[in-house]
Amino acid sequence: MSRSLDSAPTRRRLLGGLVGSAALASLGAPMRAALAQSTIEQPFANGRRNLVAYPEKRPLIVLTSRPPQLETPFEIFNDGLITPNDAFFVRYHNAGIPTVIDADAHRIKIFGNAVGKPYELSLAALRSEFRSVELVAVNQCSGNSRGLFNPRVTGGQLANGAMGNARWLGVPLKDVLARAELKSSAREVTLNGLDFALAGGGDFVKSLQVNHAMDGEVMIAYQMNGADIPVLNGYPVKLVVPGYYGTYWVKHLSEIEVVDQSFEGFWMKPAYRVPDNDCACVDPGTAPAATRPIGRFNVRSFITSIGDGGRLPAGADALIRGIAFDGGQGIREVAYSVDGGQSWREARLGDDLGRYSFREFTFGFKPTRGSYDLRVRAWNRSGQSQPMEALWQPAGYMRNVVESVRVTAA
Amino acid sequence: MHRDESMNRRSARLAAVLMALLLVTGQAAQASSKSITLPPDGVTLKASDLPGYAKAQAICAACHSAEYMQFQPPNAARPYWEAMVNRMKTVFKAPIDDADIPLIVDYLAQTYGNQRAH
Repeated sequence: MSRSLDSAPTRRRLLGGLVGSAALASLGAPMRAALAQSTIEQPFANGRRNLVAYPEKRPLIVLTSRPPQLETPFEIFNDGLITPNDAFFVRYHNAGIPTVIDADAHRIKIFGNAVGKPYELSLAALRSEFRSVELVAVNQCSGNSRGLFNPRVTGGQLANGAMGNARWLGVPLKDVLARAELKSSAREVTLNGLDFALAGGGDFVKSLQVNHAMDGEVMIAYQMNGADIPVLNGYPVKLVVPGYYGTYWVKHLSEIEVVDQSFEGFWMKPAYRVPDNDCACVDPGTAPAATRPIGRFNVRSFITSIGDGGRLPAGADALIRGIAFDGGQGIREVAYSVDGGQSWREARLGDDLGRYSFREFTFGFKPTRGSYDLRVRAWNRSGQSQPMEALWQPAGYMRNVVESVRVTAA
Repeated sequence: MHRDESMNRRSARLAAVLMALLLVTGQAAQASSKSITLPPDGVTLKASDLPGYAKAQAICAACHSAEYMQFQPPNAARPYWEAMVNRMKTVFKAPIDDADIPLIVDYLAQTYGNQRAH
């Protein structure tokens, strides 16, 4: 997927540029250039953000500095189906971050009241004593796109860039658990990493049902896109939970505890829960009657080759490109509209890198002079799709509305 | 003489190969350990005459940067700030005196929430 279409400035770039030039007109040119590149304006109120290069990362959108939460600038998703390691989003929960990691000394402890043989696993043993598997899979933050909720909800105010697609190499969690000889009483598997809470409460620990942990797809990854995993993405080992929101993808994985009861730590309950109904939604401003832990991704699709407010040459063939993904059924179809959803046609799907990967789509479009509201809508292989109107929930998770990209041909 | 020259070239080539191997294995050994230095906070708490400001600097900013407050949506209401401060105390064990909670909430709601002066 090469960047053949010259993308017009995205709305973010455009606004960032305007704000920059207006506010900084009195500064000297070099200073202006440096500052103009270091901030952008997200497409919602109070959306001014710094762009900063963290270790092993190119400049990314800083949601928070400490602990780091970094969002991928959206135009990077048009560079290819695989998100580069140095552009991949970062999300920590606690500011106790391992900044020095000795991978040779690192151990993963497998223990708990529902294992027969607890043991410790080194990286050398993980690499040499187990069969490796490789999988291309999207990781997406539960709160990706939260800043676009209307009415707004509190929490991390992200646009659409807290997602990424990578080729993960690792070992099935199932095989690592099997060596510990699970008891029939095993109910959940809790996962902890080296990151820690500074004041002693709220360590980031997640839990999977034992049958999910044993499904053969959940993986302990030790490589990302053919290289070491960046520290801020979980070096030296990260849990990969294909099709599930990033909250389960525990970084710097160090403890796997198999227990005979339901685990209810803060990050499983009350955090990271969605309304327990079919749409995982409620009427705006209301609270759900019951909740469940967040689970699989819903279906999403995005145009990547041009942003809101972009421009196309009138009378010329334009090739519009984008990406679609879902929670693991795989994308079956993407439809597009150039008239705000009045009429729809089928887009062409690109290479299939697997059912957990971004799937490319393209469509041709020859605009005459005027304004166009471009929309795309994907279906997965079970027929699930995206709502035309945004759904709402108080935590701001799981946005997947059909997005609108307004462009002008001139 | 010719033979010596070619021998020398071969030795030089061999040395180069050995050096390359050393570099590769050296890098492999280095790759088993990583160390990073994080950049400083990009945002600090907004100054205020409210008594909660100094307390927020001492307690909140000890664990996290100020974007957590500054980037909340303009409609963030007092119950949100109250819930967050209580969560920091009960869940995360932040050392907040109960008497200081309303002061910190006042500062947050009036500095970053919908009680901001316009």
